[in-house]
Amino acid sequence: MKTLRTITVAAVSALALIVSGCGTGASVQDANNINPTGDIKAREISWLLSRPADGGVITAMNKIAKEYAKKHPGFSLNLITTPDRPSYIQKLETLAAAKKLPELFDIDATPFAQKLAASGNMINIEKLLKDMNLYDEYRTSALDYQRFDDGSLYMVPFESQVEVFFYNKALFKQAGVEVPATLDDFPKVCKALRAKGITPIALDGQDMWPLERYMAYYPFRASGGDYIKQLKRGKAKLSDEVGRQAVEWMASLGEAGCFQEGFSSTGYSDAQALFTTGKAAIYNDGSWDASALATDSLNSEVRDDVDYFHLPVIENSATAQNEYVAPSGIGMAVNSQSFDPLVRDFLEFALKRYPEVYGSSGQISPTTNVEPTIPDNATPLYKRLFEDADNVGQTTAMPWDTQLDSTSNTRLQQELPLLVQGDVSVDEFISTMDKVIAENGPKAFAED
Amino acid sequence: MMLPSRSKKSVLIFLVPPLLFYGAGVLLPVVQSLVLSFFSWDGISDMKFVGFSNYVQMLSNDSVFWQAFGNSMIYLVICLTLQLGGALLVATLLLQITKGRDLIKTLYLLPAVISTVAIGFLFQRIYSVDPVGLLNRLLDVVGLSGLQQAWLSNPSTILAAVSFPEGWRFSGLYMLIIYAAFMAVPTELEEAAKLDGVNNWQMFSKIRFPYIRPVWITTTIMAVTYALRGFDIPYLLSNSRYGQLVTTYMYRTAFTNTNYGYASAMAVFIVIECLVAVGLIFVFMKRKVDE
Repeated sequence: MKTLRTITVAAVSALALIVSGCGTGASVQDANNINPTGDIKAREISWLLSRPADGGVITAMNKIAKEYAKKHPGFSLNLITTPDRPSYIQKLETLAAAKKLPELFDIDATPFAQKLAASGNMINIEKLLKDMNLYDEYRTSALDYQRFDDGSLYMVPFESQVEVFFYNKALFKQAGVEVPATLDDFPKVCKALRAKGITPIALDGQDMWPLERYMAYYPFRASGGDYIKQLKRGKAKLSDEVGRQAVEWMASLGEAGCFQEGFSSTGYSDAQALFTTGKAAIYNDGSWDASALATDSLNSEVRDDVDYFHLPVIENSATAQNEYVAPSGIGMAVNSQSFDPLVRDFLEFALKRYPEVYGSSGQISPTTNVEPTIPDNATPLYKRLFEDADNVGQTTAMPWDTQLDSTSNTRLQQELPLLVQGDVSVDEFISTMDKVIAENGPKAFAED
Repeated sequence: MMLPSRSKKSVLIFLVPPLLFYGAGVLLPVVQSLVLSFFSWDGISDMKFVGFSNYVQMLSNDSVFWQAFGNSMIYLVICLTLQLGGALLVATLLLQITKGRDLIKTLYLLPAVISTVAIGFLFQRIYSVDPVGLLNRLLDVVGLSGLQQAWLSNPSTILAAVSFPEGWRFSGLYMLIIYAAFMAVPTELEEAAKLDGVNNWQMFSKIRFPYIRPVWITTTIMAVTYALRGFDIPYLLSNSRYGQLVTTYMYRTAFTNTNYGYASAMAVFIVIECLVAVGLIFVFMKRKVDE
């Protein structure tokens, strides 16, 4: 009997321990304390990021960190990168749940990020940049891309990009087609290219977000950014006129055979290779790939035939030709729990140095205070891409993967290939997604 | 027989540390998952007690879960057929040959030592349609170009495509276990049977297989529980819900959708599913022995 009682007490205590262990005890930190007091004590700080290991941002930040370390012996910047975005997000969310986020971490302006910010885990970047007298140096579009819907800013942009449709002029000529003037011209163009045995559009379907971009295009032209803002909260539906048009357009791309066979399991390099080897006519990509698509490293057989066009409009378009996806990349958040004089001082040093160092590597800075350097081996497209970055319109098309709650987003990414492949009908797609968003969207944005 | 007290102490000394490790590494997380399954938690906000609603949602209102469960069952059948069926066949054939036996064993075991990620990449290439992968090329060579397709994109082939590598990968391991068991069958028993004039099938079904039944049960339990927990290759090869298992759905629910409570309910389901499967195997095999 005594043994039984002992076991019961032990079991209850263990259960209590487990429950308390699982508890979050979310304590609200001061996200607005941008000037922590105390001495600058050099140590290693970490930045968990999702960027190419040999890309411009990491190269520039490594250089800057070394410069800072010369003035502050003992300082080092530990860059932990996971370029594969889905894996990165899983890592980030797990660390956030375990309250083990490092001093700096990359995050998009997602509902999850908004929750992190609301619980006081991220420093208010607008205040920080203003305090450092850097705020006005940034491109408005670069900052806007990082903002939450309420206009608040909790991430620092490190890039300025434009997304365009690269196309092969020779293949277009061979099929007797012109650049699509409207989104509704896409299926016609695809059919004509298919008829000549040419793959119309090369798509990296394995990463899922590239196909989701296409889903965002029609609503952006029909209603600007409003539709997705309403849709993600469950206040608009895909069965509404704008949503249905978008879904029907996606299905029409599939019917016209726009994407290569097996696109949903094609990876990034294979998709790009389809375009650069002259097998595919169109490739929707960003200026971050300018070094591959707009320099002499591009296959010489297609180099002179490569050009690009912007996201076509639609009839009665709500957004202009120079308004399209112009992201400033994944943003960097600053962990408020480990924000101390060293982190603040390093950030001030780094953000002041960054535009010059980054710009000199042939990249477009998120600020307006440096002249970009065009590499010697660039084709004329390179310069045009840079000029476009200066001329993007006021409204930016927001990628839906940064807007929807994660459950709805995962399901959308799973359903879209099926819609385009013709494995689910337009009505089935709409009904499934409206149900999923109605269940998850309002919950995710309940704190608005 | 009672152990002397000194031996009892020795047993305790040797058994307690591994039991503690087992408790901390296996039982505690299972209990934690059980507790978490009664909560709604996104990893940031406070946990909210929701009673059985995660289970109600999972069992009555989530078609994706049931699709994943159906996929898991088909995945199990494919893996068991390839692993146990293939292993038994190859082990039996190996008994018939003498030359090159070790080479065949090594080659057959090789996939079990290759890393999962490498196998994932390998099969992505094998199934590819553009650029043409090995499978589609082979079909073309043998005149079956009409069957060429995107194996990882077509909803009717995704599940088989993600199951095959897992089945293929471990069949060599089970073959070794079964082959070792066959080697332990006493030669005099086989010789006596031969003198009685049994044919090959009778030798297998009446002599060898009944002799290795305990090993077969263990191997079946291993293969079933591994297949029910199968995760890595299906996760690496496909994002589609047509190739999604309960395990990969659980993982996405927890670590992509940050719905830890709901994912824990699925984790509890997987634990129960494995226990039921092992129980059924025991009952089934015991009944066979009794017969």
